[in-house]
Amino acid sequence: MSERLAAAVAATRYQKDWFARMAARARAGEQIAIVNADVPHEILRALEIPYVVTQWWSSIIAAKQVGPAAMERVAARGLPDFSLQYDAMPLGEQELPEHMRPWGGLPAPAFAIAERSGDVTQKIFEQWGERPGTETFLLSRTAADPVPPRWWELVSHEWETAFGSDRLDLLQDEIEELTSWLEDRTGRRLDRGRLAEIMRLGNEHAEWNRRTRDLVAAARPTPVSVNDTMPAVMVPQWHRGTQWAVDAARALHDEVAERVARGHAVCPAERRRLMWIGRGLWSDLAMYQRFQEEFGAVFVWSMYLAIAADGYRRYGEDPVRTLAARFVGITDQLYVPPWSSDWYLAEALSHDVDGVVHLVADDTPGGVFITEALEAAGIPVLEIRANNADARSTGAARIPERIADFLRTRVPARS
Amino acid sequence: MTVGAPDLGAPRIGVVGADLPRQLVLAAGATPVRILGSWSGPVSDEAAQLPGAVDAVAARILDALLRGAHDDLAGLVVCNDSTAHLRVFYVLRILAERGRVRYPVHLLDAPRGGGAPRDRFVARQYQRLAAFCTSLTGAAPDAAGLRDAAERELRLGEALQRLRRRRRSGRCSGPTALAAYRAAATLPPGEAVAIVDAADHPARGRPVFVTGSAHPDETAYEAIETVGLTVVGEDHDTGDSAWIGDAVAADDLEAATRLLAGRHAGRAPLAARSLTAERIAHLERGLDASGATGVIALVRELDDAPAWDAAAQRRLVEGRGMPFQARVRVRPGDIAGAAHETATALAQALGRGEHA
Repeated sequence: MSERLAAAVAATRYQKDWFARMAARARAGEQIAIVNADVPHEILRALEIPYVVTQWWSSIIAAKQVGPAAMERVAARGLPDFSLQYDAMPLGEQELPEHMRPWGGLPAPAFAIAERSGDVTQKIFEQWGERPGTETFLLSRTAADPVPPRWWELVSHEWETAFGSDRLDLLQDEIEELTSWLEDRTGRRLDRGRLAEIMRLGNEHAEWNRRTRDLVAAARPTPVSVNDTMPAVMVPQWHRGTQWAVDAARALHDEVAERVARGHAVCPAERRRLMWIGRGLWSDLAMYQRFQEEFGAVFVWSMYLAIAADGYRRYGEDPVRTLAARFVGITDQLYVPPWSSDWYLAEALSHDVDGVVHLVADDTPGGVFITEALEAAGIPVLEIRANNADARSTGAARIPERIADFLRTRVPARS
Repeated sequence: MTVGAPDLGAPRIGVVGADLPRQLVLAAGATPVRILGSWSGPVSDEAAQLPGAVDAVAARILDALLRGAHDDLAGLVVCNDSTAHLRVFYVLRILAERGRVRYPVHLLDAPRGGGAPRDRFVARQYQRLAAFCTSLTGAAPDAAGLRDAAERELRLGEALQRLRRRRRSGRCSGPTALAAYRAAATLPPGEAVAIVDAADHPARGRPVFVTGSAHPDETAYEAIETVGLTVVGEDHDTGDSAWIGDAVAADDLEAATRLLAGRHAGRAPLAARSLTAERIAHLERGLDASGATGVIALVRELDDAPAWDAAAQRRLVEGRGMPFQARVRVRPGDIAGAAHETATALAQALGRGEHA
């Protein structure tokens, strides 16, 4: 077993402490928010409203092995337990008995904020608004049109071209609506200078992630495990816009650089380099290291560091419009072909992977085009259809067994 | 009543989804033709795989498009009114670039919610739509075109109002009504009016309302009506909640798009892009208007949005003293059986007067 990344350990510890402090304050009456990953958190940060990200909280619920129990509570209310579990699971967590709730449970939020993504997210967040003391705000979700080539080279500065002004106008206006909605309910006023500083810190944070990603892409053998980079990247992501997050991203970079300098290998007998496309397998993170000994196969890439490197940097004069540019296409970048397929291929090539495991969830489109682009470049792909957070689904998909078979039959070892 | 512009020979513009302001297409000299799909029939591996996990009806629409079944179209508009349709657009956009699709494909992205920011965005989308149609027909929507289109569309709307009144007075079965709506969605308005008005014959079953997934064909309605029920109304977009028969009075495109965006905001809330609370209010209005005595919800597998509405719908319906029968995750091949079983349970509840 490779040594744990100190940045991952520190981030995980920080997040647990942060949650405990936040929960205590919430239980003492402070207003908190539950928000989806693809809403402009920076407004909450600027208004000093603590927030918990749905997907992160689902990952904790899943990691604590209470995901199925949470979904049973969703079903007990007559709601589907088969639909968008990654968003719905925290609703069920609210209903669990105290002893089952991870970290003491998420205190009742005052605000639930999401984009109207897909067909169901809005209805899940509407359910939050049915709970006493919680109100829901929904942003629109527009479609990925136009489609710029090589978006990752364009979006940090030329985002107006990348996303189109109409989409940006709408989200900018809606961010203003959200701001007024929160101001009315908290009695606070948005300091736009403070927001600009938060945006600056977010860019500085993302620049460190870009350097880290580039280090990992170039390093042979790979110096860090994806199950370490996932928390080391994602915990700071939920604190984006703070000095702590910048420092955490820099610490991750420095640690990776130090490992590269001393030739540290996650898998000293590295013979196969793998890419994991899709959301993290939170209920079984150990799975990512399960193939190192037998196959010399190491996961060198997950979307978490990569999107942190390419997805968030936005430079502009007006902080609200720039914030709109950060979020208007965040889903497109990851999931909409050809935005997604072009990017995954570029990442696969830059990381020199030998094979790809592609976890395709029901709510992610375009999987075939991603697989097609990679296979056309000579990179074998194993597609697995399952929900990452729902252990019932991942168990049924027999993921470890299928990856082992994939490695045996389709991914030759490097000499 | 004046006579509308002749439809014969007008270019046909295909439409996937329910968000189209038909007046703009008609004003550009084209006929909007809704592509509806079906409950049954094979789906090619390609159409099943390319969009990912989607409602089988959307996969059948894609399949038909890729097989060339609609190659007579001058162009295709795909609405971002559901995840499934948006995925169909993403697939077609790529395949069109590869030369697999013979006509231009255009996205119509009209978020729901209403309010000034969304209305402005939708109005711009409508201007893009008009430009797309003009690129296909060569005719820009001018004052005369907008007026003529409005008149034709409103006459179709009046015919559909007459149809709804006949349904509620026992003079039109559910399958016949669905077929009339399909004619309204796919034919030139003048032809459609004649077909809609011909949908007039006795229907004596107990009146029921249908919610859940949209019905691209009559399979489920026919099964429902074999047990002594008549579908007198529905809240899905291939029936009473279709956006057909609406138009605005405007002398220029900018005014028309602005007014139509306002109409869009006030349309019937469809499951995939509306809140459950909006759906409940709409269902309540539908029940009031239709005189239904019970409600059936049939939800296709991978069409999850209506499944999220079902619990609140049940509370509403049963709270009004009426029976509610739902079946979710219906596999397309199972629809006739599922509809029959659900309708049978509803008919039995009505017969027992459990909720009277």
